Amino acid sequence: MARQMTNLFDSSKCTACRGCFSACKNSNQMPALFDRSYFGGPGNGTYDSKDGDTDAETLTMIRFNETEDPVDGVRWNFLKWQCMHCVDPICLKVCPKGAYTKLDWGCTFHDEEKCIGCQYCTYACPFGIPKYRKRTDTVTKCTLCYERVAEGLQPACAQTCAPGAIKFGYRDELLEEARERVKYLRVNGFPRATIYGETELGTGTNKLYILTDTPDKFGLPVKPQIEGNTIFWQNWVQPYFGWLIPIALGASALSFVTSRVIANKNKEYEGHAEGGHE
Amino acid sequence: MQWIPEYRDDVPRVERFNLLARSTHWIHTVTFLLCLFTGLALFLRADWLAVIFGGFRGAGLVHRIAAVVMTVTILTAMVIGVKGVIAWLKDLLRFGMNDIGFLLKFPAEFLGLKVKIPPQTRFNGGEKMNSMVTPTMVFLLMISGWIIWWPSIWWPGLVRASYWIHDIAMILATIMVSMHAYLGSFHPGSGESFWGMWKGTVRADWAQHHHTIWYDETYGEKAQAEAE
Repeated sequence: MARQMTNLFDSSKCTACRGCFSACKNSNQMPALFDRSYFGGPGNGTYDSKDGDTDAETLTMIRFNETEDPVDGVRWNFLKWQCMHCVDPICLKVCPKGAYTKLDWGCTFHDEEKCIGCQYCTYACPFGIPKYRKRTDTVTKCTLCYERVAEGLQPACAQTCAPGAIKFGYRDELLEEARERVKYLRVNGFPRATIYGETELGTGTNKLYILTDTPDKFGLPVKPQIEGNTIFWQNWVQPYFGWLIPIALGASALSFVTSRVIANKNKEYEGHAEGGHE
Repeated sequence: MQWIPEYRDDVPRVERFNLLARSTHWIHTVTFLLCLFTGLALFLRADWLAVIFGGFRGAGLVHRIAAVVMTVTILTAMVIGVKGVIAWLKDLLRFGMNDIGFLLKFPAEFLGLKVKIPPQTRFNGGEKMNSMVTPTMVFLLMISGWIIWWPSIWWPGLVRASYWIHDIAMILATIMVSMHAYLGSFHPGSGESFWGMWKGTVRADWAQHHHTIWYDETYGEKAQAEAE
């Protein structure tokens, strides 16, 4: 396995300029839609994207989370929200078309050419990231700009980030850097600062975060997990239950043969003229 | 080798299934099989199966069209033929010792051995099992299928549950259908049943022998006298 590459997002540096949001749209040639979910619901006319979500034409966005604390006062927690590129992605397992592949440098790549828009991945994803796009009848999600990375460039969001909150590089190096940064933040006014993405979902997510507060203050799931319904479906129903069908077919085929063999034998002994269908 | 018994109109025949029941049965057969094979393409991740329907998108389209036809047919037939549905349900509820006897002895008959089976009502023990399991599974398939078709309007947990419910209901329904299709046609012990669903009538002597209770109640001397 090649050395893992990823983005590190430092929430203490993000100014919510949303340059990454624009650069992503630009790079992926997606239209700007100002009444969409990234402003917290259709057409609410504000820039509050607290409950906003990515959509089929918006692969990344900045979420605003306002928190109030008696000690710290009011704080704005900005979070860059996109596909986490899980190290062990469930979307890859549920996809019946094999549209998902894990690139050797860590990107969870979704091939829209193979996608048939069944949306199994949308409902399996612990972050609900893949979104259905009606005009192409496929789902879309962050590509980690695999085509730019292949050319030795950075993802569009990392390239454009003015305050340097998004950094692209080798995951092990970024993780070292994140640990140092969290240590610094903890003694400089952010005692609950933490790393997100290192161990989440057991094996971790490829994308890494430095959070100035606990994940729930950023609207991130504290303990992301694959739903039981999905595990039962994928680990039990899909691989094993289907074998019951050939058993039923085999039993019918067996009966077809034995019943005719027995009927023929009876005919020999008893000399039945009429086809004995009783 | 004989596949199914010859259809004979020179012997007395009695009606077994009316036109509504028969047309619903065969429309359901066609739509179920279309849904099954297009669905199996995705379930088995079988490209060779999808190719028959013009790829996975084509299979998806056929799956949806067949599903609409199936749902509309079943619901319409249940409204028009509500009397028949009630009579059928009543017969299912007459599950007695004769049906248990049937189910115990049937494996031998299934393999072709001759056994003495207790008198049966309109639907024998095995048909009763099929009549209970298959429609239940088809209703589960329809409900979960319509949820999967428009997932965004439902609670996400319901969509996730629908995925495995759709799979399990498909598997159980297909097991029943593979047995039912064989027992209703090529199984020597079943004989006339195919003509009952195809032409609507069965030989009176066959009905009397295989569904004694039903025959006596519907076409027997006592029933004839009451009708007159």
